[in-house]
Amino acid sequence: MFVSKSMTRKVLTAAKDESIFSAQERMKQAAIRHLPVVDADGRLIGIVTDRDLRSAMPYSLIKNTCDDAERAKLAEMRVGEIMSPDPITLNPAHTIQDALLLVQEHKVGAFPVVDDAGNLKGILSVRDLLRAFVNVLGIGQRGTLMGILVEEKVGQLKQIVDAITEEGISFGSVLVARYWEDDKRAVFPYLLTNHVARVKKKLTGMGFTLIDPMDWYLDQLPSKESE
Amino acid sequence: MKRTGFLHDIRYLLHDTGPYHPEMAERLQAIQKGVEAAGLLPQLTEIKAVPADMAWIEAVHATVYIRRFEEVCRSGVRQFDYSDNQMCTETYDTAILAVGGVLEAVRMVMAGEIDNAFCAVRPPGHHAEVAEAMGFCYFNNVAIAARYLQKEWGIERVGIVDFDVHHGNGTEHIFEEDPTVFYYSIHEHPSFAFPGTGRDFDTGKGAGKGFTKNSPMLPGQGDEEFKALIQQDLLPAFEGFRPEVILVSVGFDALDADEMADMRLSRACFTWIAEQLKVLADQYAEGRLISVLEGGYSIDHLGELAEDHLKVLMRD
Ligand SMILES: [Zn+2]
Repeated sequence: MFVSKSMTRKVLTAAKDESIFSAQERMKQAAIRHLPVVDADGRLIGIVTDRDLRSAMPYSLIKNTCDDAERAKLAEMRVGEIMSPDPITLNPAHTIQDALLLVQEHKVGAFPVVDDAGNLKGILSVRDLLRAFVNVLGIGQRGTLMGILVEEKVGQLKQIVDAITEEGISFGSVLVARYWEDDKRAVFPYLLTNHVARVKKKLTGMGFTLIDPMDWYLDQLPSKESE
Repeated sequence: MKRTGFLHDIRYLLHDTGPYHPEMAERLQAIQKGVEAAGLLPQLTEIKAVPADMAWIEAVHATVYIRRFEEVCRSGVRQFDYSDNQMCTETYDTAILAVGGVLEAVRMVMAGEIDNAFCAVRPPGHHAEVAEAMGFCYFNNVAIAARYLQKEWGIERVGIVDFDVHHGNGTEHIFEEDPTVFYYSIHEHPSFAFPGTGRDFDTGKGAGKGFTKNSPMLPGQGDEEFKALIQQDLLPAFEGFRPEVILVSVGFDALDADEMADMRLSRACFTWIAEQLKVLADQYAEGRLISVLEGGYSIDHLGELAEDHLKVLMRD
């Protein structure tokens, strides 16, 4: 789960004296929105986003109504003048979870990844994170998601896993989440099968409560602090 | 009255999925009994299965996959890759008979021997991918039929409607880049049901963009939502596409009483969808409609559902 395994290694970079027109053109060509700025030794000194570039351009340029003098002045403008210095960075040894929490905290679409010496090693975008998350959830494979409510006590998960394994069903993933009631947990096994009716019956027979699929709010479980 | 073909064959019972599997031979026996009890057999043209020409199966499936399926099956191994795919030594031959029966039904419709047909086959097909068996499916019967229509009968535009409660991942995948085959599926939302594909923003790829349409339904929804989606999504799509032949993946597992998924269609709604499809076939495809059984696991209700389906096909 390390950032180094999920990041994009081949990174397009800019020098701080590149013109903003040239930087914008290269980003457009490569269909990217973040351009790390590095010095001659490959050390990260800033980042430019497509939004930085757009806000540097006056409205008259976009509308194609600005005069030559104004255009010439813009052509003189350098990446170093508009970049964000000291961007939030990740270390290759950071984990995907670290990155998820950082994305949630800062409204940033991508993090440059730098080693301890400050050298740019890659870039991790929200898109890379999502890919990792899709993988973790197992939803790239064909299967069925189930929801089971369990009491917070030892051995519950084992019973569930055993019951499902006995049916010869493979797991795509198992997610355990907090539930509204403090002493309960919601377990979401993603099973690589079309045939969950039997396993559902078996689990209900064992005393587990199935969660109505319409009551799944994976993203809205209350946090401990707010309670 | 239309001349309606009914494909059923005792050899489809030979695919034995073991003691605890929902896709069992009793499904077809229930259908057979229902159709017989309703007294429909004398008015139907009975179609018997013939083994499919391997070339047609290879028009969709990878040769290495077909060979591997045959080897694993004949070796007596009871499971093919996933626990869903329980087999016996007859499974491979039965799957070839399922394809062959469907192709025979298509041939009879195209040759003008019958107007339309319902094919009660096992194993089902719509989850089967080019090189992967999945969700009780080995060969994609309907996809192979579409290729057969195009290559053998010169049909340019094939419309596939799949109202099984599960999305037909195999069929969609096989034709997602193909603008000559329109795949429409209505099913339980992939976040709640197998196979986890068939989202409403999946509309095909490349040249096939716009020739796939998915209408996911939320768990617990029923007739009203189903009918609204068909009217809103399927009817305009086929008006634009104008299929020359309509193939239907018939699944009876969206029935309220069916425990395989969480949708709540009534018996009457299955008659309604059959009527809609027949109208579409009459409008665009000279009435040519071949429906092929996919899922449907409520043994108590399969007989009457098949009876209703056939009665609609037979009506003028
Ligand atoms: Zn199904």
